[in-house]
Amino acid sequence: MVIEQYTVTTQKYNFPQPTIDTALPQRFLEQSLSSLKRVSPASFQLNQQNAQHFNNIDSAFSLSLKPEPILLIPRSQETLIAAVDTSTIKIGETSKGVVVAVRGATVWKQHRHYRYTRLGPFIFHVTEDNKKMVFNSLERSYFDTLYTSSQQFTPTLFQMPTRIASLLERWMQNAIAKTAENGLILLDGSLTSGTADAPVQRMKQILETARKRGNTVLAFSKATNLRFNGYLITDFLPEREPPYLLETTGLKPKPPAVLLGDIYVARFNRAKLAFRLDIDRGAVETDRIESVEKLIGNDVYKQSYPETLRLSHILCTFTANEVLAIQHFIMRKHGIHIINRPDMHRLLFGPFGKGEGYA
Amino acid sequence: MKLYKKEGNVLHVLSFPNEAVEKGDYLLVEDPEAAKAIIAQVIDVQFAAVPGVFEELLRTLPDGDQPIQGDDIDPLEIAPHINYIQDASLLVCKIRATLQNELLSPSSSWLPSRSQSTIKKLSIPMLLNLAKVDGKLPIILGGTKDSSLLTIDASALDGRLNIITGKKECGKSHLSKLLMVSLVGYKATVVVFDLNGEYSSLGMSSDGKKNIYYDKIHVLTPSQNFKVSLDQLHLNVVMGILVHALHLPGTSAREFKRIWKQLKEKGSLTLSALGDAIRNLNCNQHVRDALTSRFNSFINCGFFTDSAAEGSLIDDCLLKAKDCGGALIINLRNTATIDRQIVVEYVLGKLVDSLQSWKLQAAFLFAEEAHLYLRETYWDDIVTRMRHFGIFTTFITNQPDTIKDGIYRQADNIFLFNFTNEHDLEVVSRAARVDAETVKSIARDLPPHHCLTLGRVVRDFPMVTRVRALDIKTMGETRLFFRDNS
Repeated sequence: MVIEQYTVTTQKYNFPQPTIDTALPQRFLEQSLSSLKRVSPASFQLNQQNAQHFNNIDSAFSLSLKPEPILLIPRSQETLIAAVDTSTIKIGETSKGVVVAVRGATVWKQHRHYRYTRLGPFIFHVTEDNKKMVFNSLERSYFDTLYTSSQQFTPTLFQMPTRIASLLERWMQNAIAKTAENGLILLDGSLTSGTADAPVQRMKQILETARKRGNTVLAFSKATNLRFNGYLITDFLPEREPPYLLETTGLKPKPPAVLLGDIYVARFNRAKLAFRLDIDRGAVETDRIESVEKLIGNDVYKQSYPETLRLSHILCTFTANEVLAIQHFIMRKHGIHIINRPDMHRLLFGPFGKGEGYA
Repeated sequence: MKLYKKEGNVLHVLSFPNEAVEKGDYLLVEDPEAAKAIIAQVIDVQFAAVPGVFEELLRTLPDGDQPIQGDDIDPLEIAPHINYIQDASLLVCKIRATLQNELLSPSSSWLPSRSQSTIKKLSIPMLLNLAKVDGKLPIILGGTKDSSLLTIDASALDGRLNIITGKKECGKSHLSKLLMVSLVGYKATVVVFDLNGEYSSLGMSSDGKKNIYYDKIHVLTPSQNFKVSLDQLHLNVVMGILVHALHLPGTSAREFKRIWKQLKEKGSLTLSALGDAIRNLNCNQHVRDALTSRFNSFINCGFFTDSAAEGSLIDDCLLKAKDCGGALIINLRNTATIDRQIVVEYVLGKLVDSLQSWKLQAAFLFAEEAHLYLRETYWDDIVTRMRHFGIFTTFITNQPDTIKDGIYRQADNIFLFNFTNEHDLEVVSRAARVDAETVKSIARDLPPHHCLTLGRVVRDFPMVTRVRALDIKTMGETRLFFRDNS
């Protein structure tokens, strides 16, 4: 059912349509329903702080920053821009585990109009008993190789929401890489791989697929820990008229982390905001700068951040209203009785207890 | 529905999209533990402050001139649940009564359980039954929203002060006709000051044939079939006309009183004799002029006559009405302002006389746009003194600010039609028998021909009714220029 919907959507909007591996959403649905069936007899504890998790792989490294910026000239030749983002949220806790929701959004801009496809929300009841099974089952349907199934990568219960979201995100990135042609693919985060959420082979495969179809992958990080002379690289902005890029050199990540992109600082307009930008290292060198010029020539970039990527983030984010709706769904469809466990911080410390999420 | 909040006598109830509740509906909030229930009326329906709705709306903002197009692949079908939560509404309700052991009390001092209470809609028939809005003299006002009939008791209008108000063309006169003919049907004596001549055909059905009220509707048109001979007039009535309608100064009034008494003693109280007496009066020139001008007004209005036969119609009509019920329609349609005041002064004086002498038991007075003919001091008279004589007034107006505040505060029943103007609603909301929020909130949204009934007739449970149709010949339609051309 999911496969058909996705196929119809892409054809309808004349989006490039090769054969897509659509097993993952199907498996997401199966695992979602299967995990929820198990939660039925258990009582359900509402999550008190609906913190959302977004993927952000970054560690504190030092590097060098070339002082002379690369000045950019917007290229307005029609270029497809596609962006992917996913979001996950903890809906509540049960006596055995957590109930989480995951959703992904793809947004693309073509012929001056934005279009989107949202996938989800998928709801999972993850317990210590089923977490490995749920995750492996999802992974297996994604790639033949289980990159993260070894013991060292087995996620903890509380890592599971992010892992499931990452899996969906990689699948959606792969789907975009397979479908877009001669376009720009914008990812949320960096192109640093070698972590549980971004296995090297999987990331390489996505980049390679994109490259083969003439696409360039650009990854924007909303926050970074990379520093130059003790300053965050995004704070080190020369007094030059934007748009420009600052090229970095000399970053040597600690294994197993692998850099799959060249790192730049991108400042697109006069707003004093800049972002870490990773450009696929495998892309032809001249194409890298050109692709950024195409991006600023085709997309809106208020606050130096591409609108397509901003929209994908906005569309996948869970609102409080949706969390309520998901709780309503779980209650109605699965008859889960909701209880409210007191917040121990509040209970013990009164006004000095700022909630579970604070130390 | 879920009980959310109680502040004073205001309840906030959370309602979901499948629970169709509208303004004016009644809810029964039952607390099984307390064995009590609250009866509350919905006075406003708002969006519930669901967290995240603002973000939800923001992300559907247009891309250029239209919303961002896209597809939502929602295999678990969460979207209906999102809409369900997003469309939740908050019902602002006024507590009207507490129900305990099938007895109603106006208390709102207890707090029903938020978790245990059940909330359901209370149908109008059930509410009417609980409130015991019934009686031996039913008047069917019309249909309520749940297709039941709202029936009031005619005795709830007896001895009461009523107001029918609303903006133009929403059905005020229609309701007053309905009340009037219903009262006549119960053999009541009704007097109507008919400013626009729209009550004169109440004895005819819409097809022009005589209806059951035909013999009970007496149309009195001043200067035509309605005249008064001077010797039928009591001096106090004449003085009332002279002083209040014709503004005769005190000194002149004293002279007039003297002349009147002399002529009365001689038994020659005729128009010509009165004219001669004023002309020959040996007094100050200004006094004579003042009396002459008032006498000319008497003559010119054509309302006064020397023929006793011509002046007996009102007595005959009152006598008939007393025996079998009837309505005296005082048709003021083509009457000049001063003449109108003369007629009204006379009729009111006549009524008081008849009531004082027990020629009449009581009379229901229907006064349309009374400010156009009623003198200032009569407002207080009507709600205080005349009520004790047995004149029970119903004011009908589309300008609520023309009725004095004191009248609203003492009104027993208010039949309120649509008003959109804040100022008008503010005036009406001063009525003592209802809270301002109810008036302002419900009246603003009333469709044409729908009336919010407040007061004793509905035992202080405000109810919205679509006023039922009457099979009578309508005369109150506005004359249009383009009607034949369209």
